[in-house]
Amino acid sequence: MRTSIYENQKRSQLKNKDMKDFMMIFIGANYEELGLSPQQLQDRMGKWWAWGNKMEEQGILKGGNALLAQGKRVSGLKRVVSDGPFVESKELVGGYYIVSANSFEEVIEIAQDFPDYDLDGTVEIREVMKFDR
Amino acid sequence: MEHKIVDHLFRHQYGKMIAVLTNIFGLSHLEVIEDAVQDTFVKATLQWRSERPENPEAWLMKAAKNRAIDLLRKIKAEKNRFEKVTTGSAGIQLNELFLEHEIADNQLRMIFVACHPELSLEEQIAFALKTVSGFSMKEIAAALLLKEETIKKRLIRARKKIREQQIQFSFPAAPAVQSRLSGVLRVIYLIFNEGFHSTKKEQLVDQELCGEALRLCKLLLTREAFRSGSSYALFALLCFHSARLESKTNADKEIVDLEHQDRSRWYFPLVVLGNDAMNRAMEYPDLSTYHYEASIAAEHLKARSFADTNWPAILNLYEQLHTFHPSDSNLLNMAIVQLRMDQARAARALLDAIDVQQLEQRAYLFHGCYADYHLSQGDRERAIASLRKAIELTNNALEEKYLIRKLERL
Repeated sequence: MRTSIYENQKRSQLKNKDMKDFMMIFIGANYEELGLSPQQLQDRMGKWWAWGNKMEEQGILKGGNALLAQGKRVSGLKRVVSDGPFVESKELVGGYYIVSANSFEEVIEIAQDFPDYDLDGTVEIREVMKFDR
Repeated sequence: MEHKIVDHLFRHQYGKMIAVLTNIFGLSHLEVIEDAVQDTFVKATLQWRSERPENPEAWLMKAAKNRAIDLLRKIKAEKNRFEKVTTGSAGIQLNELFLEHEIADNQLRMIFVACHPELSLEEQIAFALKTVSGFSMKEIAAALLLKEETIKKRLIRARKKIREQQIQFSFPAAPAVQSRLSGVLRVIYLIFNEGFHSTKKEQLVDQELCGEALRLCKLLLTREAFRSGSSYALFALLCFHSARLESKTNADKEIVDLEHQDRSRWYFPLVVLGNDAMNRAMEYPDLSTYHYEASIAAEHLKARSFADTNWPAILNLYEQLHTFHPSDSNLLNMAIVQLRMDQARAARALLDAIDVQQLEQRAYLFHGCYADYHLSQGDRERAIASLRKAIELTNNALEEKYLIRKLERL
């Protein structure tokens, strides 16, 4: 799986040098809190895999991860550490994918297959800024 | 790369992991254990999104094992008990607990806990479906046509009884095995019937209940101690019924009765499996209602067409069953068969002997049968009245639709 992502990355870079990276940020639909049954979780996972496979086949998926709900925050000059959760679960970032695409419109198209809209999930799309080397 | 994982892997793994962890921590920590297993699945669902394990089953067990060790530390920190598991070679012991054979043993122990006579029958079913079979409360409620709250209460009561009565996570002692086994078989039988006879619009869960009953029965039969005429006969019965599962509804999800089922859709391998089990059942001295019910189901499967059905043989089996274990439900079935054999007068006599109250949810079948009787007598008006009564009494949508179609054809 990992290797194939990197291969795809190389392939997609060869495909079009002008492509940009976008981050799809998944908000809400917190599996830890929804009390889904084992079967429902497996069904969800099947949908995520199907989506992931589709993006891989198109050579646009560059990586991504899911995030657990628990977290810490370090803030202020005094580096105060505080324990999460910091937002309500419907606002919680649950993961992200980075994809290569030419435009926001393309990424919106890709995001159509996000599996968790029915659980009130949201996809936020942000362009990754490239730094000149 | 093939990314598909086995159907129902999570649900089946759920029961396994609960059983293994319960063997380590004891039944008193069941709630903590169920939470831990649920956490493991959520973690898997998130983590596997980007990195899929070679062997999902092994991954889950390992995660559950790690979670178990976490729990172990936590509990040890809270209370200073559990020395037995925490001292010495706990790690090595823990590994042994995850061997396939041990896992099956633990699942069987859990089945016997679920069907413990201290629990009421309805608590047994709810507990078994949750803890052994890995259904959520919501799914169980949907399958049993009950409110989620009702299931929740039953589960709470069951756990409370297990705690208060100090029910052990162990197999029943030798003298009690047969009576405890018959309790387990009854729960498996009822779970199957819930799936097989309750024909609601959402059928997915129904088929899963049937599959689950078959799986549990098969698991019982893997152990010499739980093999008996009754357990083999029940397995045979479940196989025979399951062979017809697909043909029971048509493409529009409407009920197709035995007479109009497409017999080419009957699943032959299950019939073979059922026949083998029936032969094994005969090697044991005990006899059960499952023996008769399986024989009746087999008789139906033998007929190439509905017209070929050997009704006298079936009637004879029902009569034997009724002698062995009298019930109004048997009388009703005998009446239905006698109508098929053009013995209307005898059928009427049987119907009149039935206490309809005793039939409970099957009361609508009584009126359906009466409708057939009136039809056989050419009394269309009374037939319609009986059908209307049947429609009024049925509480399942598909059955109601079937009866209404029948009424419209009159």
